[in-house]
Amino acid sequence: MEPKKVLIVEDDEFLRSLNAKRLETEGFKVAVAVDGQNAIDLIPKEMPNLIFLDLLLPGVDGFEVLKKIKEDPKTKDIPVIVFSNLGQKEDIEKAHALGAIDFLVKANFTLDDVVLKIKEILK
Amino acid sequence: MHSLTIENCADDWYNEWVLDAYLDFSFINYPGFWVLLLLFFVAVFYLGRFWQSRESRLQILINEANLKTQQIQELQKVNNELAAKNRELYSKELGLTLANKKLQTLEEAKSKFVSVTTHQLRTPLAAVKWTLDMAAKGQLGTVNEEQKKFLFQGLTSTERVISIVNDLLKVDSIDTDRADYTFRPTDLINLVSNIIFEFTNQATIKKINFLFLRPQTTVPQIELDADKIRMVLENLVDNAIKYTPEGGKVEIKISDERLNSAEGAIEITVTDSGIGIPAGEADKMFQKFFRASNAIKAEPDGSGLGLFIARDIIEKHGGAIWFENHPGQGTAFSFTLPLHQKKV
Repeated sequence: MEPKKVLIVEDDEFLRSLNAKRLETEGFKVAVAVDGQNAIDLIPKEMPNLIFLDLLLPGVDGFEVLKKIKEDPKTKDIPVIVFSNLGQKEDIEKAHALGAIDFLVKANFTLDDVVLKIKEILK
Repeated sequence: MHSLTIENCADDWYNEWVLDAYLDFSFINYPGFWVLLLLFFVAVFYLGRFWQSRESRLQILINEANLKTQQIQELQKVNNELAAKNRELYSKELGLTLANKKLQTLEEAKSKFVSVTTHQLRTPLAAVKWTLDMAAKGQLGTVNEEQKKFLFQGLTSTERVISIVNDLLKVDSIDTDRADYTFRPTDLINLVSNIIFEFTNQATIKKINFLFLRPQTTVPQIELDADKIRMVLENLVDNAIKYTPEGGKVEIKISDERLNSAEGAIEITVTDSGIGIPAGEADKMFQKFFRASNAIKAEPDGSGLGLFIARDIIEKHGGAIWFENHPGQGTAFSFTLPLHQKKV
């Protein structure tokens, strides 16, 4: 079976590499985007099975990226998990309204939880 | 002949006058005179009375006028005082509005500060947490048992800091009044399942038997603010795991026994086999910043805000929260949630 591809949109280099490492050990193919514009360019090319999306990004923010993903008929069905350290009610509601499948606060989860979550969604 | 003395002279004058008068008093014999006299007296009498009444009426009018003037003056005085008080009130109100605005700005600044700071803190904290977690589990290379123990302790400490940061954020958002709550029909089973998912890891680390008991029948949707109720459950479960020794038991139970009571409600209980609450501290458990003495001993860090926040949230849902303390056996925290929210 073809390994599933996960795109991580994260501007913090260390968090990005930890997450990527963990997912790779789990057998996922990992692509990374370092900011919003980078993500918008990469998503149609990479066509990942799942996207992890940070909200606070330099330039184009995560909400904007989420909107673009959901507007494009080609990418609108890719599940997006918002993975941010924001987490106020308004942020969560806005993300859900824009079509995010879940909202995880980074500090509240371990990468094992993240793996479980991905497996649950991609099963 | 009589001599001319002063006495004599007087006598003469008298005699002459009296005699003359005698002479001329004959008119009294005329009845017309008496009639005229009578008429005169009558006229004088009526004139007098008329004058008197006119005088007194005038006096009354004058008195009335005086009274009115006095009243007007008093009214004017009161009016002036009122106007002055009004001005004072207005300026006070203006002051209050200004103070209120200032407070609001300050409140917003504080909120923004707390929010930005906590979010800034969460990113490096997540990095530390993930690294320690991966290292402890041997995902970054083999570690021996002793190293593993230290790494897990480091992880637990990091999680404490994260929970304090989270509490700070919650306390900041608790200032929102009930009007800012979003009540939606919610699947409680689903909500609790998510909590179980979130804490399974933490429970496994402490080898805690983590259970979820739910009714056999379908639980109806409850009108609640899911984010807020999640906060309450997270807090109760986090405490239960935190204060239960290794190998203990934590149980979340949803009960529909109160569903058919007058006010249909669901009851949720989080039971642990933990350290319990010391006698004499029970009534302070829901106070802001209060931490039980044995809790401080077991976990030096902690904000003492969790239960305070929980109670506020449950009460804003129209429910109640309480606990049963079984010394040496653990504690059971319960809360009720009414099926429907009263329209306010």
